[in-house]
Amino acid sequence: MFRTACQEQLLPGATLQEKWEFAAAAGYDGIELRGKGDFHFRERLPALRKAQADGVPMPTVCVDMPHFFAAFDRDRRRDALAQMKSQLSVIAELGGAGAQTPASYGMFSRRLPPFTPPRGEEEEREVLLSGLTELGEHARAEGVTLFLEPLNRYEDHMVNRLEQAVELIGAVGLDSVRVGIDSYHMNIEEADPPAAILAAAPYIGHAQVSDSNRFQPGAGHLDWAAWLGALESAGYRGHLALECRLTPHLDPAEAVRSVPPFLARMSGAAPSGAGR
Amino acid sequence: MTSPAVAVDRDPAPAPPPAPARAFGQAAPPLRRSACRVLIGNWTGHSTVPSHGLYPHQWSWNSAFIAIGLRHLSPLRAQRELETLLGAQWGDGRIPHIVFNRAVPLGAYFPSPDFWRSSTAGAAAGAPRALETSGIVQPPVHALAAWLVHRADPEASARRGFLARVHPRLVAWHRYLADRRDLGGGGLAAVVHPWEPGMDNSPCWDGPLARIEPAAADSFRRADLVHGAAADRPTDLDYGRYVRLAAEYRDHGYRDAAAAHPFAVEDPGFNALFAASEHALARITQALGGEPDVHRERAAALTDALVARLWSREAGQFLSRDLRADGAGPVTGRLVRARSAAGLLPLLAPDLPPAVAGALLETVRGAHFGLGTTVRLLPSYDLRGAAFDPHRYWRGPAWFNVNWLLERGLRLHGAGERADALAGEILRAAEDSHFAEYVDPYTGAGRGTRDFSWTAALALDLLARRARQDPAPVPAPRKDS
Repeated sequence: MFRTACQEQLLPGATLQEKWEFAAAAGYDGIELRGKGDFHFRERLPALRKAQADGVPMPTVCVDMPHFFAAFDRDRRRDALAQMKSQLSVIAELGGAGAQTPASYGMFSRRLPPFTPPRGEEEEREVLLSGLTELGEHARAEGVTLFLEPLNRYEDHMVNRLEQAVELIGAVGLDSVRVGIDSYHMNIEEADPPAAILAAAPYIGHAQVSDSNRFQPGAGHLDWAAWLGALESAGYRGHLALECRLTPHLDPAEAVRSVPPFLARMSGAAPSGAGR
Repeated sequence: MTSPAVAVDRDPAPAPPPAPARAFGQAAPPLRRSACRVLIGNWTGHSTVPSHGLYPHQWSWNSAFIAIGLRHLSPLRAQRELETLLGAQWGDGRIPHIVFNRAVPLGAYFPSPDFWRSSTAGAAAGAPRALETSGIVQPPVHALAAWLVHRADPEASARRGFLARVHPRLVAWHRYLADRRDLGGGGLAAVVHPWEPGMDNSPCWDGPLARIEPAAADSFRRADLVHGAAADRPTDLDYGRYVRLAAEYRDHGYRDAAAAHPFAVEDPGFNALFAASEHALARITQALGGEPDVHRERAAALTDALVARLWSREAGQFLSRDLRADGAGPVTGRLVRARSAAGLLPLLAPDLPPAVAGALLETVRGAHFGLGTTVRLLPSYDLRGAAFDPHRYWRGPAWFNVNWLLERGLRLHGAGERADALAGEILRAAEDSHFAEYVDPYTGAGRGTRDFSWTAALALDLLARRARQDPAPVPAPRKDS
């Protein structure tokens, strides 16, 4: 059931075509792109179109910017919204499924000094809902989906658990906004990750994978069998996109290659082609 | 009756390490997905409840059967399921039949922790001080479950030291049964409460129970009727007897040597599982580099004792022995003439004499149980028995764990096609009944609670085996009358 994708920066090769050659040989089904700011992602369109024409599957893009749609600063918020809309348009043009973003990253943590965010709860919610609505409407118009990613408490202070994302998405009321889950953040935030997946099942639009230590799946102590079993039982049909760091002692290419067979084994399935 | 000292080391359903159940990218069958949903929903963080409403704690043999299926969803959770149960083991080796979840209100289940008072009343028997449990036991399926769980992912098991951790506890458990529960002195473990063999309300207990003075009806308050239909559950009178027996055991500090045990029965199902688990313990011991023969010899001795004490050639099956009844023969007590499905479970013993195994295979499909002829699933009790009731708790309905065990026994004794057919019926009934606690053996219609954990778990196990066999033929839908 699961298809896998690998984020582009993890793949060896100078071009997407070279990266795809490696990824396909390693058993991946697609490449997850990274979308930088300043409309850099849009500027890549000629190269992306060429890659698409050469048969490189690019189902999703994950934001890679210094600020995000729920930033404290109004101008940064406006810029992040403009960047995300552009990224949604580009991924739509490439025939992809959507773009993933957290509410913020590295801006504030309630677990670190000064502990209390400069913005009140009410204002935060208003910022989140208006941003998600604006991006969701744009995504709908483009025929793609915005994936809201809950991050762990040290990286974001607004949306940490799947149920929080689901609640916001329910309030927004757009099918074009879904949850983008990430196994690493879930391991920190969810009391029972498989149960959290089932509870959020109808809202899950995308899934990123890395282990308990942010390294590639298999390098940490997550209960992958249960996590993947829950995702399968939830009826998830999207990709498992590898977003991680690689264990330092391993050859990076070997670490990336290890993931599709590992995920296949943990989901109780044989690697493609290995059959029964 | 003699059996080889070293049993034939056959495993009817060896679970090879991680099964290539299907190609990556291929969707799992809907039944697997829904069974996984049940097991994820009933997981509490360290173990699995049989069901959230009727059974909100951890039950001993339930956890063993659950682990057998949970290993296909998460070998890690399956290991933890058994580890948490064994963590509540008493100093004398017994594994209590319930480990209570302290977060659940006392009134949610009866008999509740304040009835059993294990941490105080059971202190002399070594009950845990920091946990509340019941004081009775359930059938010893645990070593079998531990071995199957290990086989699901031997690497992860070895990394976590799973077998090494559970092995001494399983040995202590079996030692408890052999040393403290051989009340008949003939090499079998006796049960001292109708709940111990797991088939709580079986007509087999009607005779032995009739001698027990029921506890006064106003001295306890049942909780099972809040969730279950009264017509399907045990009567108030029987419940009073259950309470009396448990209270007397408690009042003797749960010390087997001190208690009078007015109810003492040798049950063939309980002892068949004991034998099967000794075989599993032999494999576990061997995997850890130990000497397995002692466990194989015990398994063979248990099988011999089963045949010597409980086999009825006339009935073509094993019967339970009431140790407190006056007997005519040289063996203590008297065989109970009621036919329970438990009497077919010695098929789990690989070293059963061929004539006995052959007779059992006939009885399974004969008039009293009718499997594959008149019923879809093995009933818990004699179809022709006066007490047969297709809906009442353990007095006729088909249970998934019993059918799973029979499927294994059929396969072990060469009836592979019949095992395949039974596996198909089990899967169909599990799916159609939404993983019912038990079903009408004729129609497969669900009874009791739904989303029952072992029903989902054992369906998952049969699905995994079927996938490995690539694939076992799916039986055509039956034309039921």
